[in-house]
Parts: sequence; structure tokens; C-alpha cells
Amino acid sequence: MAAVKRCVTHFVKQGNLERICHCSCDCYGPRKDADLLRVGLQQGGQAAAPAGPRVNDSDCFEGTAGGSDGPLGSGPALRKQPIPPCAGRAPSSALPRSAPVVVARAALVGGRSKMAGVPAVRISIESACEKQVQEVGLDGSETYLQPLSMSQNLARLAQRIDFSQGSGSEEDEPGSAGRAWAEPGEPEDEEGLVKFQPSLWPWDSVRNNLRSALTEMCVLYDVLSIVKDKKFMALDPVVQDPLPPKQNPQFLQLISKKKSLAGAAQILLKGAERLSKSVAENQENKRQRDFNSELLRLRQHWKLRKVGDKILGDLSYRSAGSLFLHHGTFEVIKNTDIDLDKKIPEDYCPLDVQIPSDLEGSAYIKVSIQKQAPDIGDLGTVNLFKRPMLKPKPGSPHWQTKLEAAQNVLLCKEIFAQLSREAVQIKSQIPHIVVKNQIISQPFPGLQLSISLCHSSNDKKSQKSASEKQNPDDHLYVLEHNLHQLIRECHKQTLSSTVMPHPASAPFGHKRMRLAGPQAFDKNDISSLQSNEGLLEKIIKQAKHIFLRRRTARTIDSLASRIEDPQIQAHWSNINDVYESSVKVLITSQGYEQICKSIQLQLNIGVEQIRVVHRDGRVITLSHQEQELQDFLLSQMSQHQVHAVQQLAKVMGWHVLSFSNHVGLGPVESIGNASAITVASPNGDYAISVRNGPESGSKVMVQFPRSQCKDLPKGDVLQDSKWNHLRGPFKEVQWNKMEGRNFVYKMELLMAALTPC
Amino acid sequence: MGVTCVSQVPVAEGKSVQQTVELLTRKLEVLGAEKQGTFCVDCETYHTAASTIGTQGQTGKLMYVMHNSEYPLSCFALFESGPCLIADANFDILMVKLKGFFQNAKANKIETRGTRYQYCDFLVKVGTVTMGPSARGISVEVEYCPCVIANDCWSLLMEFMQSFMGSHAPGLPSVFGTKHDSIYSPSDTMVQYMELFNKIRKQQQVPVAGMR
Repeated sequence: MAAVKRCVTHFVKQGNLERICHCSCDCYGPRKDADLLRVGLQQGGQAAAPAGPRVNDSDCFEGTAGGSDGPLGSGPALRKQPIPPCAGRAPSSALPRSAPVVVARAALVGGRSKMAGVPAVRISIESACEKQVQEVGLDGSETYLQPLSMSQNLARLAQRIDFSQGSGSEEDEPGSAGRAWAEPGEPEDEEGLVKFQPSLWPWDSVRNNLRSALTEMCVLYDVLSIVKDKKFMALDPVVQDPLPPKQNPQFLQLISKKKSLAGAAQILLKGAERLSKSVAENQENKRQRDFNSELLRLRQHWKLRKVGDKILGDLSYRSAGSLFLHHGTFEVIKNTDIDLDKKIPEDYCPLDVQIPSDLEGSAYIKVSIQKQAPDIGDLGTVNLFKRPMLKPKPGSPHWQTKLEAAQNVLLCKEIFAQLSREAVQIKSQIPHIVVKNQIISQPFPGLQLSISLCHSSNDKKSQKSASEKQNPDDHLYVLEHNLHQLIRECHKQTLSSTVMPHPASAPFGHKRMRLAGPQAFDKNDISSLQSNEGLLEKIIKQAKHIFLRRRTARTIDSLASRIEDPQIQAHWSNINDVYESSVKVLITSQGYEQICKSIQLQLNIGVEQIRVVHRDGRVITLSHQEQELQDFLLSQMSQHQVHAVQQLAKVMGWHVLSFSNHVGLGPVESIGNASAITVASPNGDYAISVRNGPESGSKVMVQFPRSQCKDLPKGDVLQDSKWNHLRGPFKEVQWNKMEGRNFVYKMELLMAALTPC
Repeated sequence: MGVTCVSQVPVAEGKSVQQTVELLTRKLEVLGAEKQGTFCVDCETYHTAASTIGTQGQTGKLMYVMHNSEYPLSCFALFESGPCLIADANFDILMVKLKGFFQNAKANKIETRGTRYQYCDFLVKVGTVTMGPSARGISVEVEYCPCVIANDCWSLLMEFMQSFMGSHAPGLPSVFGTKHDSIYSPSDTMVQYMELFNKIRKQQQVPVAGMR
């Protein structure tokens, strides 16, 4: 007892009860708090009073400490029953856990109590209520240490147990378990006789209990293993009394069978009921889950928000930069009109979307170029909806197609609204007409460009009217696509970093415009930075270009098919602009492509003009008139013939005496000018003179030497015969009777004929 | 922005400034030039403030702040023999802030306004130089747009100017002399204008003595 330390502040002794301190001081004095651990020591063999407040904490356990023997009749030395973790019960008071401080001491002070006949002491161990303070903050708030969990606590306690030192049954420990069994009374006696020494650490009895439990378990294990072997020990079943014979075995058997069957049937029925309930629940759940999973899928593609108890979505382009005033809201509704009994249809979807009524159906913008309508009064509502309903993509749910179609309708409406606004506001030389769903403008005289919004709802009557016979479609799909792209570009402009500065601290305005001042940009430079062409202007320019290109192609092709000699070749370039295309036109003679390649024209087809660049460097600008290009090409073809003669002369060795692209002699051509060339044979005897005009065709004359002409007037001037070697009069060649498939071939034959070997 | 030559055309005998300008413009129109709107070049003078000058001179340095409608977003600031700064249009507001250092001599504001003609690659601007309410002279600016090297096209410019200015065609401007083969820039045009305005300012002070 001398080793007992007493906490000065905490010791209170009340009669037989001693309160035990479980503050963190190292004493065993009591504390005045309510949740104390009370160790009741009673003498005279009374059962220990139930320990203090039974803490419903998960790391509490109740034990009986101290040796108790016979008078108590409490059996073996220590009986411990670990209380199962009281997870289900809420603690009566939220007792915090702290490091439980000890207390398994049956306090006996001095010689007052004797160990002999000491009753079993029941010990309840509870943890103290207060958490340990980990730190105190600067503003006075305290941070508590989290109390240890049950396993942590147990581990901590177990670590303190020193299994190498026991009390009482220690000497027997190294022996076999059987011996401990053989002498059950001994340890008790020994414990009873030994004067209770307050152990240095409080877990002595716990350790002893554990050791004996271990011993017993080992014994049991050994016994069972021996019994299993059946060599040295055997289990003998207890003989049961035989049952009395039944009186009416069949009757009873029947009844018992019926009963047992009924019982089995009950069980089966219960199980079946449960199964069917679960299946129904499953289906219901599946439907529920389906709606949610469909909603999730919907959410991946479209923006949704919850307003009250409705789910609304947004299918407009506002978040992409559009400024169109349409709400574009659709509602998501649950599809509950499904009958569970009937078979669920294949395309059943638990989710349905309701789109605004003016966006129903499908729409497209039709851009077409026609000859000008004779009377403006003929314009009516264009109901040229011919595009069939697009088949939905397989695999995409029906709400996706519905929403996409609605979004397309909205975009087409926006495009048309923008175009009509510009058509009305922007001044142009020939004003644009806006009639109902059509915008009509005149890009070229005699030509009419109509842009119309074709919107068909899904009603039956619109289907009927669409089946009328329509005019041959001039629908320029390219322009429709371009319109869509242009409006998207407009959208992007509103979100661009010039309008909305990125990052937010960046200045407004175009970067280049800020440099305009210090770099002294003039008006041309500034206007090139700012492009303020509207959608309508752009699309009209594109339409003009497409039309001009088509007409140019048609002109060249018609010429090529009409005229065989010389031949026209057109090489169109693959890479074009929306406003510019180019084609290279070659005029050649068949069979003489390498020799006669002087006429090569590069045509740059712009929006309103065609610019022709000749091989010799001349640049000519033609207007959009078809006739101009045709005349030009015809004049070039006629020039080609004469150029070909020139090249041929070089090859054949003939000398070019004169050459002119535009002769001033002879009949005046209505298209262009005639060209002429005179070539002389290598030995000078003959000369060929060619005059070729676009309209008048070719005229070939050959000059013979005087000696070959019989009908020359003989005069007195020329006396010498040497003058007869000079070339004399001309004779025309009947060109259409010449052999040869084209002009140059004929010319070559002629030259060959006139060149003596 | 091509090579530009700024010169002064003396007022014809017995005629007013306006009439001389009209003569010139009619000649240009006969030549085939097309009218393309108006132009304006103005110049304001700033003195360095008396408190900041050292012992150099009485009035310190003169700074000219000029604007040209050909470069609408720019402002030019130049010293007489010093560098020329091309700045943003906000420079004027900056000058207001620098009131303590540069004081505006409001009476010296001079400008030229007139019509702008384009003749193929040439830009001709004929303007009336006014200081306050009075017209002081005639300025003619001829620009040859394709060329940016001064010495390469001086003779062409001379020939063109002689075609409509006759004997009043000027000689080689001083800025061209220093240029050699470097690229012509708008600041050179403004230097020429500055010199022209100074000349006109000095000119008119002689007959109207005692008045500023």
C-alpha cells in the first residue's frame, strides 16, 4: 500500500466505496465527476454491486476482478464476458473517449480488507468523458485529440500486458494444459492464500484471465484433436430412450406428411411472393432508372436546368454567340403512358421532349438563281418544300433528332431574319424585295436571285401541297451551306476577343487597330482591317461569282463543241475562293500542240468581271456579258491560226516576210480584227499569204514566180530574163478543197508542196 | 503611302487665293483627275514652358503637333530639327496633361484644307493655308503612291507637277536630300508641311507688320 500514490486533489473516500481517479495524473484518487468508475468492494460474499454507470461505449467491458471462491460460488477465478460492441445502442450520454486511465484495482487500503473470502469484484471500465486537448488556438478555441477507436484502444491496452509475468498460475504456465485442468482448485487456493498485493500495473487480473482462457482453449483443442483421432479417446453418444410406437402409423404419417408439406409449401409460397415482388420492384426500378439514365444522356448533349418541378432545356445558339431573340426552350417530360401489362414497344423512351410550337417540323433555306420573273405580282409564298424527312441516325434517340431538327429550324429562321433585315436596311442600286418568306434581288440584269425559307411542319396538309410538280430545281446547295457557315461566323464574332476581351483585363478593340495610330495607317489600311459587309451582300457576291463561273464554263464548252479547228482546252483550277476562280484556256491545233502554243489565256473569274491575262502579257478585263467572252475567244482563235502559220514556217524553214495581228486592210470584221502573215519559201520562189478573220474565215493566197505564170502581160520594161525568177501575181487557194483535217495540216501540206526537194 | 512632295504655289497676280486654287483644280480636272473628297492638315505650336528651360534661349524649343486627314488615327509631333513622333490620336489629350511643360501657342495654329484628287497612281491635294480667319497661301501636295524610295521617282514627280503647275513646280525638297535610299515615311511629309507652314508664317508677317 505504500506504493499507492494519492492525488492530493482528488482523493475522497466514502465509506467502503472508493472513488477512483481517472484523470491523467498518475494517482488513484477519486474524482468528483459523475461518470466515475466505482469499484465496489463488499465483504461477506455479496455479489459486487453493479459497477457504476454502465458505459455503452464500444470499448467497455465488464469483468469481475479479484479472486473469488467458494462462498461466492462464482466458479473459476475470473469470469470475463466481453460485452459485444454496442453499436446499436446510442450512448446514454455522449461520452467522449479519452485514454482510459487504468483502474482495475480493487482498492484495499491497509489491512482493512482481507483477500480471503473477498467477494468477486466486478469492474466496469469506462473511458473518461473528456477528450484530451491537443492545442489551444490563439483565439481560445481548443482542438481535441480524437479518442482512440476500440481496436486501437485494445491494442494499446494489450501492449501493456506482459505475458511473461503472471500472478498466481505462473508456475503452472510452462506446464501442459492438462495439468492445469487436473488441479483446478490449486490456483484458486493459491490465489486465495496469497495476500493480495496491489500489482504494479492494474491489468494483472485481466492478464490472468486471458492466460487461463488460453489454457482452457488449448486443452479443448487438444481434446478435440485426440477425439478426432479416435485412438485414445472416443465420444460416446448418450443413449436415447426409444420413441413409443405409434398407434396408427399411416394415419399419423399422412397427417405428418401433410403438415410437413404444408410447411414446405408455405415456405415456397413465401419465397415466390418475395421473388415476384422483387421482380415487379425491379421493373419499376428499371423504369425509374431508365428515365434517369436517359436524362443523363440528354444532359450530355443539351443544356438542361430545373425550374420548379419542370426540367427545361435550351436549344438556341445564344451561348454560342447568337443575338436572335428566341427563347429556344424545350421541356423534358416523363413518359408515363406505358402499360406494364402490354409489351413495351421497341422504341419506347421514358423521356420525351416538348419543343416550342413554332420550331416544329423541319426547315431549310433555298437559294436559287432564275431568269427574272416577268411580273412582280407573280410572287407568292414559296412552298417548295421538297426535302424529305431526314431519316434519324440509327442509334440516336428520337429526342435527339427532334431537338436537332428544331435547332435547325431556329437557325434557318435566324438566317432569314438577318437577311431580310439587311435587305430592307442596306441601300443598293437595285433594291431588294422581301416578300413573305422570300428575298429577291438582282445580281445581274435579267437574272434573279431568290433566297427563301422553306419551313414545313409535320401536318398532313403540307405534305399534300408539296407533291405538286415543281420547276426544275436550281437550288444552290453550296450557298445554303455557306449561309449556315456565315451565320456561325457572325456568332463567333460576338464572342471573339475583340468584343469580349480575353483575359478580362485586356483592352477592347482589335489589336491591329491600336497600331493604326503609331504606324500612320491611311484609309485603305484601316478599311481593310474592318470588314463590315453584311450577310446578304456576301451571299449575293457569292451567288454572282457562282453564276459567272457557270456561264463562263458554258461559253467555253459551247465554243469547244461548235468549233473543231482550232481546239479549245480549258483547265479549271481545283483551288478556288468563294469570290474568285481561275481557268486556263489553251487554243491549239490538233496534232500541232507543241508547235502552235502561243495562245494561252488565264481567266480569273471574279464577282462581276473576268480578267484575262494573255501569254504575251496583255491584261484584258471583260464584263459579265457572255457575248464579250465569246467574241474575245473567237478573235483569239483566229489569231491562233495565223500564229500557227508563223510557227510552222519556222519549222518548215520558210521565212516570215510580214506578220500583223491586226491588219487594217480588207473587210472590217465585226468581232475583233483580222490578222495576216506572209511567208516565203526557202528558195524564195513561192510565197504564201494568209489572212484570217474571226468572221470572214481564212484566205490563203500563193505567189508564184513569174516564170510559172502564163498569162502575164509582156511588157517592154523588163527585158532581162532574170526578172522571171521573181515572184509574180497571187493566186487564191481553194482552201476547202485542200487535203487535211485542220488548217495547220493543210498549211503544212501546202508548204511541203511548194518546197521542191 | 508613297513619295510625297509638298510645295507652295504663289498666288496669281491680281487674283485672290480662292481663284488661284480654282485655276489649279480646273487644270487638274482637265487632265483627267477625279475628285475624291477633301483633306485637312493642321499644325499647333507648343513652347517649352519657361520654368523648365535652362539658359539656352528665350523661348526654348518649339514643338509642333500636326494632324493629317490622310492618316485619321494618327497624330504627329515634331521638333524643328529633331525627331518626328507618330502617335495615336490620344496624344492630344496627353498634351493637355503636359500643360506644365508645354504651353500651347494658340495664335500660331495653322491649317490647310482643300480637295483631294486622284489621277491613276498620283494623289494631288490642293489646299488653302489659313491661319485664323485669313487665308495665307496655297499648298500643293503631290504623292506618287507606288514608289517608296524618294530618289527613284523624283524626276517623274517633277514632270507631273510641271504638267499642271507649270513654272511653279518646286525644286527637290530638303528631306529628300537626307533620305538617300531609305523608305519614305509619313513623318517626312509632315516635316515638309511644317517647313511650308513656317515659311508661310514668316512670309505673311512682312506685309502685315506688327500683327501676329
